Amino acid sequence: MREKRGWKYYGLPVISLLLLLAGWVYISAVKPELFPSPQKTWERLIRLIETPLARVPLYLHIFNSLKRVAIAVAAASLLGILLGIFMGISRKFQATFGTLFEMIRPIPPIAWIPLITIWFGIGEFPKMLIIFIGTLAIVITNTYTGVKMVDPLALQVGQVFHAGKLQMLFEIILPGALPAIFGGIRMAIGVGWAIVLAAEMVGATSGVGFLIFRGNELRDLPLIFVCMFIIGIIGALLSMLTSVLEKRLCPWQ
Amino acid sequence: MSMAVITSKFQIEKICKLYREKGKPDFEVLREVSFDIKEHEFLVLLGPGLCGKSVLLNIVAGLEQASSGRVLLDGEEVIGSSKKISMVFQKTGLLPWKTVLENVEIGPKYAGEPKEKRRKTAQKYIDLVGLEHFENAYPKQLSGGMKQRVGIARAYATDPEVLILDEPFGALDAQTRYSMEDEILKLWSAEKKTILFVTNNIEEALYLGDRIVLLSKRPARVKQVYEVTLPRPRDMLDETFLKLREEISGNMDLAL
Repeated sequence: MREKRGWKYYGLPVISLLLLLAGWVYISAVKPELFPSPQKTWERLIRLIETPLARVPLYLHIFNSLKRVAIAVAAASLLGILLGIFMGISRKFQATFGTLFEMIRPIPPIAWIPLITIWFGIGEFPKMLIIFIGTLAIVITNTYTGVKMVDPLALQVGQVFHAGKLQMLFEIILPGALPAIFGGIRMAIGVGWAIVLAAEMVGATSGVGFLIFRGNELRDLPLIFVCMFIIGIIGALLSMLTSVLEKRLCPWQ
Repeated sequence: MSMAVITSKFQIEKICKLYREKGKPDFEVLREVSFDIKEHEFLVLLGPGLCGKSVLLNIVAGLEQASSGRVLLDGEEVIGSSKKISMVFQKTGLLPWKTVLENVEIGPKYAGEPKEKRRKTAQKYIDLVGLEHFENAYPKQLSGGMKQRVGIARAYATDPEVLILDEPFGALDAQTRYSMEDEILKLWSAEKKTILFVTNNIEEALYLGDRIVLLSKRPARVKQVYEVTLPRPRDMLDETFLKLREEISGNMDLAL
């Protein structure tokens, strides 16, 4: 039997949030030097909106971070889907690049930061490159798995109804793999959002990662709190956005 | 059945299938399976579960290769999957990302027919299986019986000479199954294709077939061929029907 969405469904999240808030108020009262109160955090947010930090208004800090993620993840998705498909449909391709890829993949993206900074400095490009490297593998793996997992019956149907090679790829393999590909992109956006913050802590002049790092340098705890909220909320919004997009693009699901 | 048409449309000749794997004993699925199908005949292939019926169909449809033996269509050997043969799959095999109309039109589409023409063909068969107004529905929105109707419309839309149906109604409830059996007979008498229908259900075989080819358990051989001369629509409680049913039942191997 389906459970009714009664007061528990709506009430329990509210209760847990209230408990968190109460805990926050309590701890900030006991240790104000380590835990800025909700009120102080709120005031810091307002001040951050009103007076730009490092001559960059808040919305531009957020926009710059998002722009870096968007460009890097878009590039990683494009190349990743292409490589993933090739690996999925061609054994030779898989044999050639598979091992290479498996060796590079386990290196955490953050470990690339020093090398990339030495090679390319601290501009926009190296930051996006780090995100690109960190998310490419995710898209490739998901696409490859998706292609491999396409229902063999769908392939047989293609054969019996004489689909050409391109029709097989675009009408049967790709749509069959699309949910997995989307899963990869969604994960890449999440990971990209995490990496951009790390990348911006090294020699950036704008971005949410830069802000939180500045908060650390200045020991401005309310600023750090504000940044963490912004990071969390934007992360959640990105995840919601991709879900909506996925539903739009895969209406059969 | 008209006696003027007695030529063999389709011949299955000594088909053997062995699966060989290193370090394992050979796995024999089909042993010299031979039978003919006449033009416009409704032939039922009856066999116990897992006897190798599906493997035989895959060979006929060009999805698998026989170890030996051959398949002839109009006297010519069939190599790979022929455009004259179409198939209805046991698990429907509808493409979930395509609507009903898009599913039905894939045959003509992949054959390169222009959009207008293939849409018309698809619509004709969608109407014929009673799915008008469902053209834009996705498979997940349809019931099991409706899904298989789409599968049948899709197979007909390629205008094949031979239609293979692989246990098409196996997953349906009894009531839906009966109505689908009538439906397929109606289509067959309207369109006069040569039909190879596979089932493990004796009643279904007797209700539908001009002839029934009974296969043994694995490795499958042709055990016996029954002519069913009862007029259609057949009465499942008719004395001859029941007698034949009992006879075949006694002769049929049990599924493993």
